[in-house]
Amino acid sequence: MTLLEFADVSFRYPDGSVGLNACSLAIARGSRNALVGANGSGKTTLFQHGNGLLRPQSGVVRYAGKTLDYNRGGLRELRSKVGLVFQNPDHQLFSASVQEDVSFGPINLGLDEATVRQRVTDALSAVGMLDCASKAVHNLSFGQKKRVCIAGVLAMEPELLILDEPMAGLDHAMRIELTAVLDGLQARGITLLLATHDIDFAYRWADQIHVMIAGRCSASLPCAELEEFEQRHNALSDAGLPLPSVLTLHRQLVAQGVLPNQASPRSHAELLDRLANKENH
Amino acid sequence: MLIEQSAYANRWRAVSPAAKAVYALCGIVAAFAAVSPAAALTVAALLAAGTTLGAKVPPGRYLRVAAPALFFLATSCVSLTFSLAFSLDTDLAWRLAPDGLQRVAQVGSRSLGALAALLFLVMTTPLIDLIALLRRLKTPEVLLDIMVLCYRMLFVFSAAVHDTLTAQSARLGYATPRLALRSLGGLTANLTLQVWQRAHDLNVAAQARNNDGPLRFLEPRFEHVQRDVALAAAGGVILLAASIGWR
Repeated sequence: MTLLEFADVSFRYPDGSVGLNACSLAIARGSRNALVGANGSGKTTLFQHGNGLLRPQSGVVRYAGKTLDYNRGGLRELRSKVGLVFQNPDHQLFSASVQEDVSFGPINLGLDEATVRQRVTDALSAVGMLDCASKAVHNLSFGQKKRVCIAGVLAMEPELLILDEPMAGLDHAMRIELTAVLDGLQARGITLLLATHDIDFAYRWADQIHVMIAGRCSASLPCAELEEFEQRHNALSDAGLPLPSVLTLHRQLVAQGVLPNQASPRSHAELLDRLANKENH
Repeated sequence: MLIEQSAYANRWRAVSPAAKAVYALCGIVAAFAAVSPAAALTVAALLAAGTTLGAKVPPGRYLRVAAPALFFLATSCVSLTFSLAFSLDTDLAWRLAPDGLQRVAQVGSRSLGALAALLFLVMTTPLIDLIALLRRLKTPEVLLDIMVLCYRMLFVFSAAVHDTLTAQSARLGYATPRLALRSLGGLTANLTLQVWQRAHDLNVAAQARNNDGPLRFLEPRFEHVQRDVALAAAGGVILLAASIGWR
């Protein structure tokens, strides 16, 4: 079932630059979605349309089958269901205290104090930051700030969580931690949509990869059939993106007869497992 | 930053800010009610001892934080001690003000007491706790919003200034006085734009989390508030007794 849908959405910024150009895209409920594309291809603009921060100049955005209502009540309802985590944590965190900042969203929803406290605790636990609840935001590392940003949106208990390049600026260990946090969120039934430049991560993690080119979603690729899809449509190469390296490597190993021609592995770890199994046999 | 470090890493961090505010307020009142310079100095000493021995703020850090304020206090005291005489017959003349020393002792010791009270409060209590306390005391929302944003922006902009300065220095931006002036202008212009951009970004981020008015947050909770306030009030009474009782 489609949760968020963009139908022929166009948006042009006041300076004349194109944000979205007849962009159509659908996000299925409960799925993991990765949005890939070059800088300036319209990823952030699309996200801001999803949260109602920007309004399409033409086309329609629908949430759970209903066209978005841009009056105060409609936006309030939408933003309680669609959470948006910004790329730069310093653009999102404005309270000096972790606990205060996370409480900002639920308090804006008009919840009572006991519920807000519970949600703040739950959200900070979900991102592994409960120990830092009383810390000052400026004393946190970049990765910790990112997690607090996610907690701040999670505390509003959204159905759809949109993350604008959540892995940007994180080191390898932090990326692994954040991936685990995202897995936990999806296990709780939250639909995830994130922007990334890392095609290997997108292929490994997502159910669906959406490719953005010049403000338009040129293709939505199911990751399980990415290789066949790409051979027919060249969607990734049109966006200047390579195939995931694990697919290239797998293709080479199949061509050399090292591995049988089975379904493509999603990660290097899976490929190594197959090689190890083959040696054991 | 030194104040920040102390505020977050002192032994009384978890004590209710209301209790610490009561004690500091008593300290300020005691300093101004002091009947003699010796009484005011006693109050200052008690407050400083509370900060360094009670809250375990390192004395060295305490003195470094107090140093700029002490410098201004010292220069003020010097200007109070002497008076300048102008006359047509003689040149400009310096002399001790008639009641200069007595006035300096009185004003200086009281100011020291008030300074010690304020240092006690800010070096044991993070500003976020103080803002929460002010919120409970029904301070106007708009003032609190400005305090919250200014405090947060202080750190965001110090990072921005540091980054820009580093980037300019790496390209010899401060190699000569002329270049330094030019770079400083660039830094100012850049920061002006950043202020505007950041304000816009924060507004968008607030809207994304359903904000449509004042910035409201959850207030931090402290255990044993009543006990702590009672103890602070008792401490405050001791300060007042020391200031009024000392002759």
